[in-house]
Amino acid sequence: MERFRFLIWRPVQMLPVLLGVTLVTFVLVRSLPGDPVRVLLGPRARPEMIAATRHQFGLDEPLPVQYLFFLKNLLAGDLGRSIMYRAPVFEVIAERLAPTFLLIAYALVLSILLATTFATLAARNEGRFADHLVRGFCTAGLGLPGFWLGILLIMLLSVRLGWFPVSGYGETWLGHLHHLFLPALTVAIALAPVLTRNLRATLIEQMGADHAQAARSRGLTEGEVFRRHVVPNALLPTVNLLGVNLGWLIGGTVVIESVFSIPGLGQLMVASIFTRDYMLVQGITLVFALTIVAVNLTVDVLTVALDPRVVL
Amino acid sequence: MNELLTVAGLAIDVLTREGPRALVRDVGFRLNRGEALGLVGESGSGKTLTCRALVRLLPSACRVVAGKVTLSGAGDLLAMDERALTEVRGRRVAMIFQNPTSHLDPVMRIGEQIAEGLILHQGLDRSVARRRSIELLDEVGIADPAHTVDAWPHQLSGGMRQRAMIAAALACEPDLLIADEPTTALDVTIQAQIIDLLRRLRGTHGLAVILVSHDLALVGDFCERVAVMRAGRIVEAGETAAILAHPRHPYTRELIGSQPRLVPPGHYFPVSGAPAERAPRVKLGGGAPLLEVADLVVTFQRPRRVLDLVRRRPATYVRAVDRVGFALASGDALGIVGESGSGKSTLARAIVGLVTPSAGAIRLVGDERETPRYRRVQMIFQDPLSALNPRLSVAQTLTEPLIVHRLCRRAEVATRVAALMAEVGLDPALAHRRPRQLSGGQCQRVGIARALALSPAILIADEPTSALDVTIQAQILNLLIRLRAERQLALILISHDLEVVRRVCERVIVMRHGRVVEEGPAERIFAAPQAGYTRELLAAIPGTRGFSGGTPLAWQGVA
Amino acid sequence: MTEATAADRPAAAHVELPPMLLAGTALLGLWIVVAIGADWLAPYGPLEQDLSRTLQGPSAAHWLGTDNYGRDVLSRILHGARLDLQIAVLGVLFPFLIGNLIGLLAGYLGGWTDIVAMRLLEVTMAFPFLVLVIAIIAVLGPGLGSLYVALALVGWVSYARLTRAQVLVLKSADFVSAARVMGLGAWRVMWRHLLPNAVTPAVVFAMTDAVLVVLLGSALSYLGLGAQPPAAEWGVMIAEGQQFLASAWWICLFPGLAIVSLAMGFSLLADGLAERLGTRP
Repeated sequence: MERFRFLIWRPVQMLPVLLGVTLVTFVLVRSLPGDPVRVLLGPRARPEMIAATRHQFGLDEPLPVQYLFFLKNLLAGDLGRSIMYRAPVFEVIAERLAPTFLLIAYALVLSILLATTFATLAARNEGRFADHLVRGFCTAGLGLPGFWLGILLIMLLSVRLGWFPVSGYGETWLGHLHHLFLPALTVAIALAPVLTRNLRATLIEQMGADHAQAARSRGLTEGEVFRRHVVPNALLPTVNLLGVNLGWLIGGTVVIESVFSIPGLGQLMVASIFTRDYMLVQGITLVFALTIVAVNLTVDVLTVALDPRVVL
Repeated sequence: MNELLTVAGLAIDVLTREGPRALVRDVGFRLNRGEALGLVGESGSGKTLTCRALVRLLPSACRVVAGKVTLSGAGDLLAMDERALTEVRGRRVAMIFQNPTSHLDPVMRIGEQIAEGLILHQGLDRSVARRRSIELLDEVGIADPAHTVDAWPHQLSGGMRQRAMIAAALACEPDLLIADEPTTALDVTIQAQIIDLLRRLRGTHGLAVILVSHDLALVGDFCERVAVMRAGRIVEAGETAAILAHPRHPYTRELIGSQPRLVPPGHYFPVSGAPAERAPRVKLGGGAPLLEVADLVVTFQRPRRVLDLVRRRPATYVRAVDRVGFALASGDALGIVGESGSGKSTLARAIVGLVTPSAGAIRLVGDERETPRYRRVQMIFQDPLSALNPRLSVAQTLTEPLIVHRLCRRAEVATRVAALMAEVGLDPALAHRRPRQLSGGQCQRVGIARALALSPAILIADEPTSALDVTIQAQILNLLIRLRAERQLALILISHDLEVVRRVCERVIVMRHGRVVEEGPAERIFAAPQAGYTRELLAAIPGTRGFSGGTPLAWQGVA
Repeated sequence: MTEATAADRPAAAHVELPPMLLAGTALLGLWIVVAIGADWLAPYGPLEQDLSRTLQGPSAAHWLGTDNYGRDVLSRILHGARLDLQIAVLGVLFPFLIGNLIGLLAGYLGGWTDIVAMRLLEVTMAFPFLVLVIAIIAVLGPGLGSLYVALALVGWVSYARLTRAQVLVLKSADFVSAARVMGLGAWRVMWRHLLPNAVTPAVVFAMTDAVLVVLLGSALSYLGLGAQPPAAEWGVMIAEGQQFLASAWWICLFPGLAIVSLAMGFSLLADGLAERLGTRP
């Protein structure tokens, strides 16, 4: 467990990044054009009312002070108030968290299933028909715009055939899985080609690696070599790739939520931009960034667990 | 009767876009039980492909197109199906490889890699297999087998990894061990230990061995019989002693002639089988002093981690070069010898200014403003290909220093480049080739020409030939010997190969762990080494058996 | 004794182009021709409305049908090639230039330059790419200009990372050491010896990046954050057609196919280039 000791000091090391993330979100949102208070109160609001509201939200302080307040509140779990929803940002986000994370996890599982199946198929039949088919799927899949694919799937499978709901999130767990299947599939089809391609290349590389050759020279069959030596060595780069691509997957859900009208964070974020609800935009951006930071930490742990050479 | 393996008419093709191309043709040999056969040849001779074909582990682009490989009790291995083949691999024929690091699975414990053959194919129980692994590790000379069995490959040294590979290969008690350049990646003292181990295992297990190597001396020590390969064919085969004493094929003669240990000092290395010519004499002693290194220390800081900073642990340093001093005068040839990690390359890099010394002094005699450092000392590198910018042609590479430092007028550049190429023996037609289109020897010649473009007084050659085949090595060393005489160059030759250094340099420094262990005239060090480490190094050089027996052949062609 | 050189080896088939490279170049070439000649190729103007012929299916007069304003879908797609190609080129060019410069300097100079650049990079990478792009567009206001600025601010990290890693490896390569031993200055070493050799992965990635940028640009336009209606841009067209999906599928389908073919062109080019240059993505 010596090697997992980095978990103790990793938060310290992440501090600059976390501060940077909060600073970027803060600066971004404070430089938004238009006065949100005027937007909120309408053009005929009296100056005193505007001033009072500004004071209420702390907007009359200088920027560095506002940032410190922002940090202080953040530590207390207070992300400010949503101007449109007239409720704490934290609560608004908490309500929308589940659909988004369920969609991310769902899409992740589907992409991993697709990628491992296709990559294994292609790698073990390198240069043959199955391989060409998988590579064709990858090239095509990379160029598919997710939002358009989503629309087509809705048209075909939901409107024409009625197999899946057109939009929404459902009420029960089963309902969630049913409602989210098409959106998750859409996101997965965008991510799976990247994963498949890399996993295929890694598997082929490992199948030709010296240590695999040595294992064959000791009398292991091709299947044993694949299971015992190729797969364990291919896992590590795949996990790292997955970590890097999770950012893309999250980005994908933002668009897809809008296509399928899923009441999640992505849809909320796009909507808040048009209503200039900047506290909300800020909160959501932060939540997503923290997710990435957490994912990176998980990838680190997995890397150390999977590769005895790595010391962090 | 006692025959173990017969290979007949083996032919291997590689499939290219233009169609199949022959790599190995008509290779045949026999091997008795317990016998050792050496397969010798330079890179590209087909020796590795041949032995991989025996167990059908060829790269995917290669095909066996003809031949028979008969293993006693198993039949023709080339006609077998994949299933039956797995019964042969590991149990009858095992293999060890050049690079133990890449041939061990990095994410599987040593013990498991040794035991997997036992568990999967002999149906041994896990705990029994583990006990057997520990025994095997003990047998191959690993100090703490009960502990090492649970170690990861990266936790072992190179020599230990090769021992673990051998243990894994021997797990299922094979009759034949194919050893493909098993010591090439190792230091010379470790190499001697591994060869000793293989010799011992031959005795205790009655193993037959096929030793594949580029090193004739090594094969001469180890094998009763030898087959010399060139361009995919066996050009000569027979009893080792007979072939070393009376080589019939010109290529075998060239191969033997290029062995540094057989070249008398003060001579060029024989090329194409011709006898060694005497090299032009260099006036020794009394040259003007050029370089003085005094108490030089180079330290590297170990990377610090955040935890170290938090705990206020002091930074740790590694002394790569530890209080080294010597002087060099014009016309001198100084050899620096040591194994990997001895600090010899760091010393060279410090002298040319690539590494900043932590203490001590490097004094280049003369005024820095008049002749800057780069005009006084230049360097040539170990890997000739990576020492050249892949995007620049030969002419561009040689032009750059002339132009940048305004060493001649633009109109003269072309003539200067042509002269440099001629001086190092490069065909003018190569001027517009890029490094990838050149051979290793040609690349090294370009590197030398580039260094000469600045007309330095000192030339440092850092392992200039260790990436090259032995016949090419002879050519490059001859070039250095000639340039030294013609240009009155002071030469610093860094090498792990004592025999090479002995032939080129009059003075030698032996380094270990960053320190100078011994220093003195080359002949004295070879005749009467003072330091224990020097004696160890000298004893580890292969060729003590095959080429020994007085100096029958050594000076034959010369006298 | 002659040694084998690389030129003698079968890899001499260098002149031969990978088929993927050819296919990609052909597809891209086609779209470039379309973008240049849209005025002559398109049967109608991209904004030309004919309210008497709205939501008509594909016919001889309108090969790909008309939309809810009676605009010819084919003409809008052909004109849209201009905007979408422009997005692909500019959306890649700025990040490429900025990223390579930062990567080169950080890798070669090391020290504080490297520390600052790496912290900036880490912070940027802590955001999901699209989320940060959307947030920046929110600040600048929706539009293509904002899209380019956002892509430049976020997209440089990939290039900086690739090039920095290459520079770090090459910095200790013997040919760079040789250049320094020859007494060449830092700028010469960087421009002539490091950059040309370090930039290859970034060039290959630029092609892959172009695929992503084409998809991203159209997705953002679809969300209303990129190109603005009534501009003829493929993402905008899909967004406008979505509400008529059940009755007039052609408004959505054909612009999508256009995006796919443009993205595939870059994708094939990236694969072919990677194969040609010997660097797998």
